[in-house]
Amino acid sequence: MNNQKKSTTRFLTVSLLLVAISCVCIFSFLAFFMNRKSADTISSVGTIYMTGMGEKVSQHFETTIDLRLIQVESLVDTISSGSPGLRSNLVYNAQARGFEGLSFYSDDGTFDTLYGDTITLADSESFLKSLRVGAKKVAVGVDPEGEKFVLLGVPAQYPMRGGGESVALVASLTADYIAETLSLYSDDSLVYSHIIRKDGSFVIRSGDAFRESYFDRIHSMFDSVPENGDQYVRELEAAMQKGEDYSTLLTVGEERRHLYCTKLAYSEWYLVTVLPYGELDEAVNDLGKTWIYAVFLGCAVVLLALLLVFAQYFKLLREQMKELEHAKKAAEHANKAKSEFLSNMSHDIRTPMNAIVGMTAIATANINDTQQVQNCLKKITLSSRHLLGLINDVLDMSKIESGKLTLNMDQISLREVMDSIVSIVQPQVRAKHQQFDVFIHDISTENVCCDSVRLNQVLINFLGNAIKFTPDGGSIQVSLYEEDSPKGGEFIRVHLTVKDNGIGMTPEFQAKIFDSFSREDSTRVRKTEGTGLGMAITKYIVDAMGGTIDVESELGKGSEFHVTLDLERAQIQEEDMILPEWNLLVTDDDQQLCESTVASLQAIGVRADWALDAETAIQMIEKRHQHGDDYHIILLDWKLPGMDGITAAKEIRRRFGTNTPILLISAYDWSEIETDAKSAGITGFISKPLFKSTLFYGLKPFIGAPQAPEEAPHEEIPSHFEGKKVLLAEDNDLNWEIAEELLSELGLELEWAENGQICVEKFQASPLGYYDAILMDLRMPVMSGYEATRAIRALDRADASLPIIAMTADAFSEDIKKCLECGMNAHVAKPIDVREISRLLDKYINNL
Amino acid sequence: MTLKECYAAMGSNYDEVIGRLRSERLVQKFVLKFADDGSFDLLQRSLAEQNYSEAFRAAHTIKGVCQNLSLTKLGASSSALAETLRGGVWSEEAAALVEETTKDYQDTISAIRAFQEAQGG
Repeated sequence: MNNQKKSTTRFLTVSLLLVAISCVCIFSFLAFFMNRKSADTISSVGTIYMTGMGEKVSQHFETTIDLRLIQVESLVDTISSGSPGLRSNLVYNAQARGFEGLSFYSDDGTFDTLYGDTITLADSESFLKSLRVGAKKVAVGVDPEGEKFVLLGVPAQYPMRGGGESVALVASLTADYIAETLSLYSDDSLVYSHIIRKDGSFVIRSGDAFRESYFDRIHSMFDSVPENGDQYVRELEAAMQKGEDYSTLLTVGEERRHLYCTKLAYSEWYLVTVLPYGELDEAVNDLGKTWIYAVFLGCAVVLLALLLVFAQYFKLLREQMKELEHAKKAAEHANKAKSEFLSNMSHDIRTPMNAIVGMTAIATANINDTQQVQNCLKKITLSSRHLLGLINDVLDMSKIESGKLTLNMDQISLREVMDSIVSIVQPQVRAKHQQFDVFIHDISTENVCCDSVRLNQVLINFLGNAIKFTPDGGSIQVSLYEEDSPKGGEFIRVHLTVKDNGIGMTPEFQAKIFDSFSREDSTRVRKTEGTGLGMAITKYIVDAMGGTIDVESELGKGSEFHVTLDLERAQIQEEDMILPEWNLLVTDDDQQLCESTVASLQAIGVRADWALDAETAIQMIEKRHQHGDDYHIILLDWKLPGMDGITAAKEIRRRFGTNTPILLISAYDWSEIETDAKSAGITGFISKPLFKSTLFYGLKPFIGAPQAPEEAPHEEIPSHFEGKKVLLAEDNDLNWEIAEELLSELGLELEWAENGQICVEKFQASPLGYYDAILMDLRMPVMSGYEATRAIRALDRADASLPIIAMTADAFSEDIKKCLECGMNAHVAKPIDVREISRLLDKYINNL
Repeated sequence: MTLKECYAAMGSNYDEVIGRLRSERLVQKFVLKFADDGSFDLLQRSLAEQNYSEAFRAAHTIKGVCQNLSLTKLGASSSALAETLRGGVWSEEAAALVEETTKDYQDTISAIRAFQEAQGG
């Protein structure tokens, strides 16, 4: 168990760790990969952007220069060299187009300035060369103040001031204008551009550039690693040589810049556009950081969720394990209880068995000593009975455990149940000198539907325990009372309590008293025998009846068992129980019993007073006697405080004569006190508990002849069966003759069938309604009584249901049951008892 | 030998049988007939044939007759025999009971015969 638990825990921990690690790895890889990817994307975006940017700037430059060249050309076209006011006309038009200066350019490279400053060309050679062949050209020059100008040259032949003819008309614009037009260094853009020549010198520089050569600038940027700078310069020069565009990413320390270089039109110039990545990189880094945060947050959330799930699972697992262990323990416990029970049982069975064996041996050895044998037999009987009880308990329990114990609901009388209980426990109570009392009150319904055998079993169990666990001289009380049932008017709630002042039970034992195979295991009860099944059986029966059992007990003080049952009221009408309007006196030390008895008596038409002790009772009798209004009957409890019932009866007889019947009421056995009681002048006895019907039947004999209750006279055998035909199935002719002899005295006409087969045949052959009944032996050759009965019942005849009464030498209850199952109406045991048969025939033939 | 003495010799209860059959004449008639009853022969035959369920029935019948006639002693032994044979199975116990039943039967029959002779028949 523990190993399994450990390995499960280890597996869980390892798998949790693995999942967590792979989770972290995957997320880290994702973060790293995405960062790389975004840096790559930014560079390629930079390239695309820069290419487009460079192209745009160079196109813009071309367009601007084009436009300006066209303006100059139009001047040349509209103003011919021979036109009047040529110079002023040119100046006017040029100024109107916003040129800074205008001059004629001679073949030898001198300027004839029309207006503006005189400009010195930086590279007049290539400029002149282009103009000489009649191509338009752009160049850069410097005025005396050092300001840079862009010169636009268009071939034109104008007369020069110093004589000769010009090669071209040259208009100038400030370099700043060009730079501005091209937005070469606008502040709100990250991008800045320079225009350089092939050798790296700046034509127009912008931003923080201050050197004369762009190449120097690159070199200076790579101070720390000069070979890198050299490489970039070489690559740039090579590209310019080939006339290709050049695009590269410069990494200067931490900073990255994108560089793009393209050739400009009408000139030997190159446009260099630079995009520093500084801010972009920052944005990308921010994005990367955010991304990493997001990824790790996600990772954390996933891990947390994972952890939660694992924890929950782990908890569940632990609970299951615990439950499993619980179930295992319970099973082990049950198993242990059963083995303990078995060992107890074998001990318990062996004890009476040994007694039986030993006593048998003693009896055999003393076979001629009648008294000794009798003594042995008595002990054998006791032991056998005990053994039978044990076995019955075990059988009941196995029936319960296999779910086969069913209730046999029937209409029963609570009075009969209580009477039988009282008579069963009386001998045991007497043997232990215990005080035994039965209380009943508030009984509105005596007849209810219940399984009387099982109800008896429950009560006897409780009472048996009470007697067993209450020391000599202790007291035991049984009470029975009724109240309205919450289940409706058809039901009545019956309360039964059994209370003793015996050894009581520990709370621990109370908790498991109804478990099978439990017995309080302490030296206090070692010597008490029993299977320990009684309570489990009792509990089961009460449960099956839909009732409850409450237990109250305190160690050393005693126990109380309270059974509550909701029983259906029986359908049978209670007899009309009415007695004459007598005056009765009830004397008992229990006030509740007195009141309840008085109420019951009133219900059957008797007026009654009550007294709690004999002295009061005698005073009350005297009072009435003086008025000449004597009580008709006096009921006296046997055990009274002070003067007991017998002494009181003597006193009453002495003082008031013998006319009034005095009846003793007691839960004790009448026989043990009868002699004393009779000699004290007590007329009779009514057994507690005092149900209404107990009182009625106990008092009824005093109607008319109160002094001398007579026994019912012996009834004469009736002989009102004249002409009734009875078929008797009996295989033995002697038995048949005896039966015929006896039964024909009743006036019956008997016909004989020698076995079951003949019986069926005779019945089949008879006219309808010929036989009034069949008396059936069970054990016959050819066909048994059971089969014959089944065959007759199966016949398709209107009289196939005639009364069939079994007659057999067996009187086992199984046989009786089997008879009834086969369809017989009743059963009489052999030897033939004319009175019994006559009673049954009366019932079935005459319907009496 | 009177009928009452005969009953005493058979280990049986005369008072009981008179209480039920009510007439000495009847009792005498049936007791004499009992000597001719074939049930005991059937029992012996069945035992010889080892037909124990039939033997059970025979013993059972003897028991029934004995009960009717209050032949207490034979009734008790035949009843015990019937019980051991109830399942239709032979046992050690049954052998002892057969012996006992046979002895009781012979005692009964000889008592009846003695009575018969005393009656002059």
